[in-house]
Amino acid sequence: MGNIFNRLITEPIEDFINKVLLFLPNLFSSILILILGILAGWVTKQVLLKLFRILKLDELSERSGINRIISRGGIKSSLATLIARFVGWIITFGFAIIALDNLRLPAIERLFESFFLYLPNVFIALIIIVVGLLLGNFFGRTALIASVNAGLKMSGLIAKAVKFSIFVFALSIALEQLGIGKETVVIAFAIVFGGIIFALALAFGLGGRDIAKEFLEKKLKGEEEKKDEISHL
Amino acid sequence: MPSIILRKDIQEKLDEVRDADILVGIPSYNNASTIGHVVKAVQAGFAKYFPDKKCVLVNSDGGSTDGTMDVVRNTTLEDGSTILFSHRTNRILTIATPYSGIPGKGSAFRTIFEIADELNAKACAVVDSDLRSITPEWIELLIKPVMENSLDYVAPLYHRHKFDGTITNSIVYPLTRALYGKRVRQPIGGDFGFSGNLARFYLSKDVWESDVAKFGIDIWMTTTAMANDFKVCHAFLGAKIHDPKDPGADLSAMLYQVVGATFDLMETYPDVWSRTHKSVSVPTFGFHYDVGLEPVSVNVERMIDKFRLGVKELIQIWKEFLPGEVIDFLVKAEELPKDKFFMPDEIWVQIVYSFAIASHKKVINKEHLLKSLTPLYIGRTASFVIDAWESSAREVEEKIENLCLAFESRKEFLIENWNSFGESAGGGE
Repeated sequence: MGNIFNRLITEPIEDFINKVLLFLPNLFSSILILILGILAGWVTKQVLLKLFRILKLDELSERSGINRIISRGGIKSSLATLIARFVGWIITFGFAIIALDNLRLPAIERLFESFFLYLPNVFIALIIIVVGLLLGNFFGRTALIASVNAGLKMSGLIAKAVKFSIFVFALSIALEQLGIGKETVVIAFAIVFGGIIFALALAFGLGGRDIAKEFLEKKLKGEEEKKDEISHL
Repeated sequence: MPSIILRKDIQEKLDEVRDADILVGIPSYNNASTIGHVVKAVQAGFAKYFPDKKCVLVNSDGGSTDGTMDVVRNTTLEDGSTILFSHRTNRILTIATPYSGIPGKGSAFRTIFEIADELNAKACAVVDSDLRSITPEWIELLIKPVMENSLDYVAPLYHRHKFDGTITNSIVYPLTRALYGKRVRQPIGGDFGFSGNLARFYLSKDVWESDVAKFGIDIWMTTTAMANDFKVCHAFLGAKIHDPKDPGADLSAMLYQVVGATFDLMETYPDVWSRTHKSVSVPTFGFHYDVGLEPVSVNVERMIDKFRLGVKELIQIWKEFLPGEVIDFLVKAEELPKDKFFMPDEIWVQIVYSFAIASHKKVINKEHLLKSLTPLYIGRTASFVIDAWESSAREVEEKIENLCLAFESRKEFLIENWNSFGESAGGGE
């Protein structure tokens, strides 16, 4: 009876205690590594900030227009702060990975494996979104200026549509890259765009019927509005 | 870019010609219908005014497919020449050649400069191939100041309708005058005279792979001459009538090219323009006479509408570099009815200078920046048309003179903000 009790209750508890005792040093060293990582990240950030101040990186990025590009992307920090913060986080993150690895838990090891395999996708998706944002801003402004110069009353709307379309397109590619709802994203994208075009066609068709009629009449009857004859050059 | 001089057929032709006193170049591209008249006028000019000089006509062609070069080669002055030009002793030599390099007027001019250099020409001129109003006197007026008065650069002076040439009148002339201190009234006229020395100087510049080869050669030639202390003058040529340009030509593209080229030159010569503080007039050759000009049609309401649309949609872009005072004005001007619509010189000067500073500091993409100037330029033009509706040509010229003085008096604003660190001139909210 005592033997059975030992095998069923005492041994597992001893086993567990042994495992915990074996795991504890790893846990403490991991916590220590993590704290060291946070410290190292913070110190690196401060050192880099000082170094960039000496190197006048902010003045350089202001002069070259990089700060403006960043702020237009909705980020308020300067280039120097961004780099310092990023490097600091990378260091902390590196230490955190070492700390987790130090725990030697099979579940975490498997998680790491799949995480590291997935990480490039996240990185590429992020780049796609950033590029999409920048391109959206650029082409949105191109469309805005061109349509204003063409005298189109809906310039603002056209610019927003261009900007939004590019961003949605980038987002759909990024999601596809991440493998999130591969088919769904493409179908949703097609439906949204098809819907927009259909809505515009309806709006123009119904709302602009008179304008189209007037335009065609002018064209066919040669009653076009008289153009300016100023020679600008 | 391979030099045209290296081409065997051209070299043989140049060996045959050997040297020249006068060279007139005509850049062309599919101008078969108009170039014949220009060639005849040039040949008549040679015969009538420079009978004892060795004259060469060069047609630098951009690959025309309508037989432009054949027209040049086959056009002669034989009919009536014995009556008109009995003293002609030297033969007029004609070279028609396609140019090489980036397609554009600048590359065509480069070929003309190279041939002038090879032939050691003393005086040169370039004239457009689509001119309808060119007369033999133009050749005399563009060449004689160089031959007889040792001047280096002859800019044209045309009679124009009071509402024509608005980019020249409201931007290029006042700006280049304030920058380089020479009152060259039409810096982008298109027809110029210049010395052989200046042609060699142009050739020595490393610009032939840049935008200068494509467009902006006119302002580049004028500015290069002014900024490098070559002796500059005007020649009064009367009216300039040429083939109508492409009616669909985009105004914003035009502004981008012309104003962009002017701003680019500010980057080349900051030391010159920042120490120039007053302007002087340049000598004028030719006999002034009034020319009857056809009235032009202007739709001011439509112009004001375009200005208002620009203010409504683009003000957020302009706020990045226009002074707060200008932004306030624009917001108020958007509300003004047509009869009260007016953009003062001081505001316009600040706008142009702020755009130059923003271009220098690369506040936004250059094409976006310069094309966003279009509604402001249209607003300024509308204001000018309303203001000068009843004015005579002389009164209009006085208004332009006042604008030039405003550009000169506000130049310190440009100099102060050009090298200042950080935001552009504005940042107005």
